Amino acid sequence: MANSLDAYLVLSGLLFATGTFGFLARRNAISMLMSIELMVNAVNLTILAFGAFLPALKDHASVIALIVITVAAAEATVGLAIVIAIFRNRRTPLVDEYDAMRQ
Amino acid sequence: MTWSDVTLIAPLVAALLVAFAIIVVDAIAPHRDRIAVAVGLAGLAIVAVLTVWTDQAPGLAFGGAYTVDTLTTYLDLIFIAIVALTVLVGPDYLGPRDLPVAEFAATLVFAMTGAMLIAGSADLLVLFVGLELMVLPGYLLAGYAKRDALSTEGAIKYFLLGSFSSAIFLFGLAYVWGLTGTTRIAGVADAIAAAQGLSPALAMGVAFVTTGVAFKIAAVPFHYWTPDAYQGSPTPVTGYLSVGPKVGAFALIIRVFVEALGPINADWLPVMGVLAVLTMTLGNLVAVTQTNVKRMLAYSSIAHTGYILVGLTAYAADPNSGGLEAVLFYLAAYSFMNLGAFAVVSALQKRPGVTSQLDTFAGLGRREPYLGILMTLFLLSLTGIPPTAGFFAKALIILSAVQAGGWVPILAVITVLNAVAAAFYYLRVVVYMYMRDPQIEPAEVDHGPLLRLGVAVAAVATVILGVLPGPLIDAATKAASSLFRG
Repeated sequence: MANSLDAYLVLSGLLFATGTFGFLARRNAISMLMSIELMVNAVNLTILAFGAFLPALKDHASVIALIVITVAAAEATVGLAIVIAIFRNRRTPLVDEYDAMRQ
Repeated sequence: MTWSDVTLIAPLVAALLVAFAIIVVDAIAPHRDRIAVAVGLAGLAIVAVLTVWTDQAPGLAFGGAYTVDTLTTYLDLIFIAIVALTVLVGPDYLGPRDLPVAEFAATLVFAMTGAMLIAGSADLLVLFVGLELMVLPGYLLAGYAKRDALSTEGAIKYFLLGSFSSAIFLFGLAYVWGLTGTTRIAGVADAIAAAQGLSPALAMGVAFVTTGVAFKIAAVPFHYWTPDAYQGSPTPVTGYLSVGPKVGAFALIIRVFVEALGPINADWLPVMGVLAVLTMTLGNLVAVTQTNVKRMLAYSSIAHTGYILVGLTAYAADPNSGGLEAVLFYLAAYSFMNLGAFAVVSALQKRPGVTSQLDTFAGLGRREPYLGILMTLFLLSLTGIPPTAGFFAKALIILSAVQAGGWVPILAVITVLNAVAAAFYYLRVVVYMYMRDPQIEPAEVDHGPLLRLGVAVAAVATVILGVLPGPLIDAATKAASSLFRG
């Protein structure tokens, strides 16, 4: 199974699962952002694995991966801006303490 | 790139230019909100004209990555109307709070460009880029009042859940692409049809895509971000968020599920049916308990997602049931009536510090008769009482579910029961407006001309669609028939 498409898909699946777990388990907004990045990078690994092992997809894979990286960067920028804005208001990055609407 | 590519994407390019024009105008003449709004509205009018113009010569652009068909035009015009109404309603709320109007308009137009890209995408990658271009400005708008704790709190919840769901959606897309070997929507449909059923890996991909989309449309049980994001955002933004990204996400559903995954509609039919029942029932049940009108309308928008999903289920069960036409009509009707309701809430909150609690509405019918009548109209339309747009929207959905046959007519029954339950919380606001006296008489508010125009347009559209729904039903039918069905 080593060096096969399946191996890489399993690896990227595990990475994605790790990111998902991190997102659900962590309560720090920055950690949650990092977990999302991990998930997106797992997707990129999936895309590149398909491209590396299936000759028909080879050309597309790198283009798709580049676009995904660009979009992820834009998303992270917006996310950090929002985290900074809320940190200025609340002085904490912990999402559990963002509960002003639940009185 | 050929000349026809350029003409077909002309509305998108124009929309981007409008957004840049607003920013440039604001840089040249800072804080002249009226000029920025005028530029924005004039630009949106040009985009609308270009959209209708490109519809004269529909076709595929960029080697089949982007398509202009009647569906694209129909959805684009809804998006333009949504953004135009939001730009009209916004300044009255933003001005007294010292929030910049020009950036608000520009960000909205950027989001609209993304939504238009979704509506016209014939390629999964274009679809994903359009989705991100639509939602990223939405996150910023949710946190637009950046010194306000509630606004930033809503924004971070919206952002975290939104990008989480984008990642899930993307993971699914990667599998769909890897296993079908193409990103073209028509190609994916062909590959799936040729494969005669789902392989387990492709089924997993489709499941991830479905989950990601369910987050975007706020279907139960993926709706947790909605109430906080809607309640926290500045009210005109909430109005936009409750319709713009929602119609955009349904455009995405039509492109992905009806077109690309059309050959396996029997497989996603039960999923949509279950989501529809859960979404409308839970949305309505929780809305009943709310005392904050913004939060109540947030839950009500979840319920409306459920009604729209009923139409989609009917389509999946029987493509000739009229389900897709009903969905398209519903999206247009819902946009006007929901934006109208939020516009009234926004008008009441003109003075900073006024909350959107039910008490704010006490005595409104006497204090501001016009606003009271219009709010009643929007709420009756949301309930689905004739002669309003909401009545025909619900009627079409229910009829299509009845026609679909099989177990789908059960959904029609559940929809009717839900509509009755929803009447309770919509009409409670009307009771407050006409039968309660305010505890403290609020100060008089002078509404700006733009806001009056915005509310009036939404009200006229709600009434016209309720009295003369024919033309829009025809347009929806034409749009649905232009669709490529895998």
